[in-house]
Amino acid sequence: MGHKTYFHIKQTGHNLRQNWPTQLMTVMTISLSVLIFSFFLLIYLNIVNAGSRLGDELRLIVYLDEEVKPEVMPMYENKIREFGEVERIEFISRTKAFERLGRQLDSEKDVLADLGPDFLPPSIEVYPVRNMRNLTRLKQFSDFLTTLPAAQKVQYGQSWLERFGYFTELLRVIVILSGVLLVMATVFMVSSTIRLTVVAKEDELEVLRLVGADNKFIQTPLLIEGVLQGFIGSGCGILLLYLIFMWTTGHLSGPGFLNMLDFSFFPPKITAIIAGTSTLLCAGGSLLSIRKYMRI
Amino acid sequence: MTKSKPRNNQKPVNKQMLKSFPDDMPIVDIVKATKVYPPDIVAVQNVSLAVGKGELIFLTGMSGAGKTTLLKMICCIEQPNKGVIEVAGHDLGKIKQSEIQKLRRQIGVVYQDFKILPKQTVAENIAIPMEVMYRSPKEIRKRIDELLETLRITHKRNIQTGKLSRGEQQRVAIARAAANKPPLILADEPTGNLDPEVSGYVMELFEQLNKAGSTIIIATHDESIYRKSRHRQIELQHGLFSGHISHRQLPLIDA
Repeated sequence: MGHKTYFHIKQTGHNLRQNWPTQLMTVMTISLSVLIFSFFLLIYLNIVNAGSRLGDELRLIVYLDEEVKPEVMPMYENKIREFGEVERIEFISRTKAFERLGRQLDSEKDVLADLGPDFLPPSIEVYPVRNMRNLTRLKQFSDFLTTLPAAQKVQYGQSWLERFGYFTELLRVIVILSGVLLVMATVFMVSSTIRLTVVAKEDELEVLRLVGADNKFIQTPLLIEGVLQGFIGSGCGILLLYLIFMWTTGHLSGPGFLNMLDFSFFPPKITAIIAGTSTLLCAGGSLLSIRKYMRI
Repeated sequence: MTKSKPRNNQKPVNKQMLKSFPDDMPIVDIVKATKVYPPDIVAVQNVSLAVGKGELIFLTGMSGAGKTTLLKMICCIEQPNKGVIEVAGHDLGKIKQSEIQKLRRQIGVVYQDFKILPKQTVAENIAIPMEVMYRSPKEIRKRIDELLETLRITHKRNIQTGKLSRGEQQRVAIARAAANKPPLILADEPTGNLDPEVSGYVMELFEQLNKAGSTIIIATHDESIYRKSRHRQIELQHGLFSGHISHRQLPLIDA
């Protein structure tokens, strides 16, 4: 077993030395593909996380024509809960709304001096549970809330949520496309490199066949070659992304878009999944080429 | 059928390999083999031959007599159009690919065109069949040293074989064939490019291997190496045995 591993590694080293410019090109292509894919994936995951954090503050505000009396509040609550579970329901009176606005205006609350505390409409703030926070469900919930007695209109930042939804959807498509690019580039490049190795080693393979080398002796080094290309290529790609990430967060920090998103790098698990998948893809490309171009 | 037994006073070449070459049957058994290359070039015609374990035989004849084709059929490079070829009891016409690989590991072949790798060193070329058998690196180094010394090319150990003379390349090919001390060695014109002195070293190596138990078939038209030999000689003429067998009337079944 020990000798087998030794000879397989020795043969792999020999293949890599024999064909190093092509090997280098392959590793660079894999690195670039992994970099492109993981770049978009990183943005996508951060946007989704940011969306999720913003979603925690999501609420539907039902503006009413008149104040809700304390004795009918339970009736309103029951009616709202008929549609589905909610986290919290808060009744905001005209006075409370006025006080809140004053707090928000802070030093400029003098502008409210001429206005009476009754100028804001009363409202009910409904905080939906997490599983109801998709756009379709929110629309349905909003329509339902307009049927409440004395309901004037319902607001929940619909246009902002729609734009955010479209943006994350677009990113998802880009991530999928770059994933396809990654799959195609790795499999194609690795299988081409192995093919070139096979062609370059034609005489050697003939001699190996003539002295009775078994399939494992010939194929294992080629498989190791593919796995190494995938591992080194994906490692370089992720490392490059990390360096770009560090540079960007270092130079573009401060109040701005990135800060608002609380941009963070992949957790170790996702990094391992990207590297592992790329390595497996390269092993697949290698096997594909071995089966196609080598008849032992 | 007469069988030659390995000499008991010699160390067997490769005990593990010899086990798969039983004593009670010819190591090579050719029955009415015919090989025709397209369009209608008859290389070997209706040839039958049995070679016992531990024999050393010379296949002689002019160029184009069919010696190389016969050797190629024995090591599964060519298939006969007609007839049966058995090696160590395996019918080569029915043998599986994986069994061919196993069988080839037990046959050392010196090819007429050497089939050595010009960009690899002498030592690397000789190591190939031993690496295929996953022998230990230490054992491989030791065996390479032995062979290089026997064939007087120790000083060429780390030189690329492409930079060697034809004679030296031929010695590398012979060393590679003998590396695993295989039970069967097929040598196609092994002294074709060598001067008489070096031919002597080569024959000495073959004799040593034969004494240690290897069966050896040498195809040659170099009269100097078989003229005074005590071993069986079989002459091929235009793909047929000429009927001339010298020294020992051993298991040749006439075509």
